[in-house]
Amino acid sequence: MGRFVVRRLGGMAAVLFAVSVLTFLIFNVIPSSDPAQRMAGKNATPRLVANITEEWGFDEPLPQQYLTMMGKIFSGEVISYEGREDVDERILEGVGPTFSLCIGAAVLWMFFGVLFGYLSATRAGGLLDRVLTIVAVAGISMPVFLIGEVLLVYLTYKAGILPSGGYVELAESPLEWAEHLMLPWVTLAVVYVGIYSRVLRSNMLDAMNEDYVRTARAKGLSERRVMSRHVMRNSLVPIVTLFGLDFGALLGGAIVVEAIFSLNGIGEYAYISLINADLPPIMAITLFGAFFVVLFNALVDIAYAYLDPRVKLGESAR
Amino acid sequence: MSEALLSVRDLRVAFATEGGTVQAVNGVSFDLAPGEVLAIVGESGSGKSVTAQTIIGLTNSPNARIEGSARLGETELLGADEATMRGVRGDRVAMIFQDPMTSFNPVHRVGAQIVEAIRAHRGEVSKQEARRRAIELLDSVGIPDPARRVDSYPHELSGGMRQRGMIAMALALEPEVLIADEPTTALDVTVQAQILRLLGRLNRERGLATILITHDFGVVAEVADRILVMCEGRIVERGSLDDVFYSPTDPYTRGLLNAVLRVDQAPPPRAAREGQALLEVRDLVKHYPERGGMLRRGASPVRAVDGVGFELRRGETLGLVGESGSGKSTLCRALLGLIEPTSGSVRFAGREIAGLSRRRMRPLRREMQMVFQDPYASLNPRRRAGQIVAEPLRLQGEATGGELRGQALELLGRVGLDDAHYDRYPHELSGGQRQRVGIARALAPRPKLIVADEPVSALDVSIRAQILDLLAELQEDFGLTYLFVAHDIGVVRHVSDRIAVMHKGRIVEIGPADEVCERPRDAYTEELLAAVPVPDPRLARERRQNVGLE
Repeated sequence: MGRFVVRRLGGMAAVLFAVSVLTFLIFNVIPSSDPAQRMAGKNATPRLVANITEEWGFDEPLPQQYLTMMGKIFSGEVISYEGREDVDERILEGVGPTFSLCIGAAVLWMFFGVLFGYLSATRAGGLLDRVLTIVAVAGISMPVFLIGEVLLVYLTYKAGILPSGGYVELAESPLEWAEHLMLPWVTLAVVYVGIYSRVLRSNMLDAMNEDYVRTARAKGLSERRVMSRHVMRNSLVPIVTLFGLDFGALLGGAIVVEAIFSLNGIGEYAYISLINADLPPIMAITLFGAFFVVLFNALVDIAYAYLDPRVKLGESAR
Repeated sequence: MSEALLSVRDLRVAFATEGGTVQAVNGVSFDLAPGEVLAIVGESGSGKSVTAQTIIGLTNSPNARIEGSARLGETELLGADEATMRGVRGDRVAMIFQDPMTSFNPVHRVGAQIVEAIRAHRGEVSKQEARRRAIELLDSVGIPDPARRVDSYPHELSGGMRQRGMIAMALALEPEVLIADEPTTALDVTVQAQILRLLGRLNRERGLATILITHDFGVVAEVADRILVMCEGRIVERGSLDDVFYSPTDPYTRGLLNAVLRVDQAPPPRAAREGQALLEVRDLVKHYPERGGMLRRGASPVRAVDGVGFELRRGETLGLVGESGSGKSTLCRALLGLIEPTSGSVRFAGREIAGLSRRRMRPLRREMQMVFQDPYASLNPRRRAGQIVAEPLRLQGEATGGELRGQALELLGRVGLDDAHYDRYPHELSGGQRQRVGIARALAPRPKLIVADEPVSALDVSIRAQILDLLAELQEDFGLTYLFVAHDIGVVRHVSDRIAVMHKGRIVEIGPADEVCERPRDAYTEELLAAVPVPDPRLARERRQNVGLE
């Protein structure tokens, strides 16, 4: 276990380094992205541009610029080109809404994904299975922005039940916090409910044909116990992998949903920074997001070893 | 005869399929007396497994139509509601299956799975009590250190131990009837012998009535009291062990018994072969580094092949016998240049091939071909039989178009298939036909050497004989040299000029087939021969008495 942690930490550092270098390079090769030019404004004199270039170090060699920026990101001194705000502080502000959104949506989609998958699989071929299949496929096919807008139109503008967006701190008012997040949660969860229920359904149908399920029946276990202890237990392993990867990726910002509901989270910040080609927040957010992806990857491996005793930590997969 | 424990009358099971109704079981009746071992023998598709599974209500396909009656004491099992059947399954009738690896749930501990079985029927038994019982059960089936093994996961046990665990689980509630469906088919012979002894002991000591389902007459002769022979859903022959073995009345039974290749009977002598050496192997070693992750180097390597040397003469058949893990497969792959040996020499037709680069190995590849165990898994399911056979011809670039088809058809003809099979996909062929396609494919590049890795162990006995005859015929016609790899020394004796016995990465004995089988010099060979079940009840009884019952 200790060895596993050390190896994983080394791997994580390597991935984060590669991701940051790539982001930095991409930003520096895309055309018309001279930040000094844009910071100086439309009718800037060449002198002003030159001043800014020198002040911000844009004339230094790229590796030097990269190191400077990384140093600033990790010491919390990094300032954005656009609006000159403290990037790390702004990201920390976004953690509240983004994490609230992701955790709430994850609870929703795991609950309904597993429930629908279970119901579909145990009644495969029946009416309920067919209905749930249609629902799942519809959920997967509908773009997130469409679901979000449709919900807004009907539940907010027409029915006036839920607020249209914005974020209220949990500490301020738990009720309003939930009210404001209700629509974003549902919007974000719909796709995942669809995917997870389908994956679980097919895993379970495969598992039902396994010899050990026949053994379980031959032992005289009740159908419910056969399903929960032998079919479900084994079918959940791949779901855990999926969940870790999806959830880790979302913590770096659920861009579309945050933008629709003006949650002022990390995803929305990423979106604005990208439009402005604002490198410092892009770098910081990319690293932030990549960190969670890598972290959850490691957690998935640990969960795997726990869920499947044939897997041992620190050994290559067979 | 005492009152029947289980009484099956006119059992019929039909499955509705796309191609019409398949009558899997067609009017089967039998009685099982307390304390007897009843063997149901048949080939694949005979309906023997469906019969057993239907009795305990595990044939629950919505397409199945079940008729007839199966009474366990006072309880009618067919058509009983689920709650009744749950009470019967595991408690009064227990079942063990062919493959102990897949029959245990891999993610739960063996002990937990036994405890689960106990508590499903005896809710009042505490977990601690059930666990104590599980340890006792594991002990009673001969699992060493049961207090520790109870917490093992299935993959931590060997195949034989897993099957003992399955038996322990089946015995957990002291059932009246045990149904064993091919309980030893997936096991090595020496392990099979142990499991059969265990089943025999349980039957004697506990009076456990057993239905033994098998295709193997050797297994039957070792443990059964009575036999039913099934064919195409019907019972074609029934009687006591001696009746069926020594005076079978049904032609199908006689055919099955004649097709059995016995290790204790010499085959007709084969013409002596005094050819030159085609393959010379010297001190061949293949070690695999211990699998333990990057940071655990220095652990002792797995010695898969540990210093093997032999010679294979042109036109001869060398049988290579060994149990799983003996290194047979690794040896074959090293001989064919598919893996690089750690050290040693392999000379093929006078040329050193160990350590040859892939590019220089390629022209030699066509001269050594392989026939695999499972013809279904080794043929591409999306290609037609003709295409499969034509592909190696096409790769040689000697023929195209109609000529290619003609050559492929000729090869199919040589293995006993015809034009009608050319356009069939593997799943549209029977097991025997598939293996014929596999052989035709191996013949296509006109090889000198064919390595046949368990070529008949997935086939039914009657088909096995046909394939072995075909291989012998092709050997004569094409002057082929065979390395015939198998775990079944009975089969090997009947096809080989010489036999090499492999154990723990070494060849422990090599010599003329009859000599190795009749006068083994190595202790392991002796053990192996003694473990082979003999399809001869009188001999089996004699052997049991010599060994002293246990």
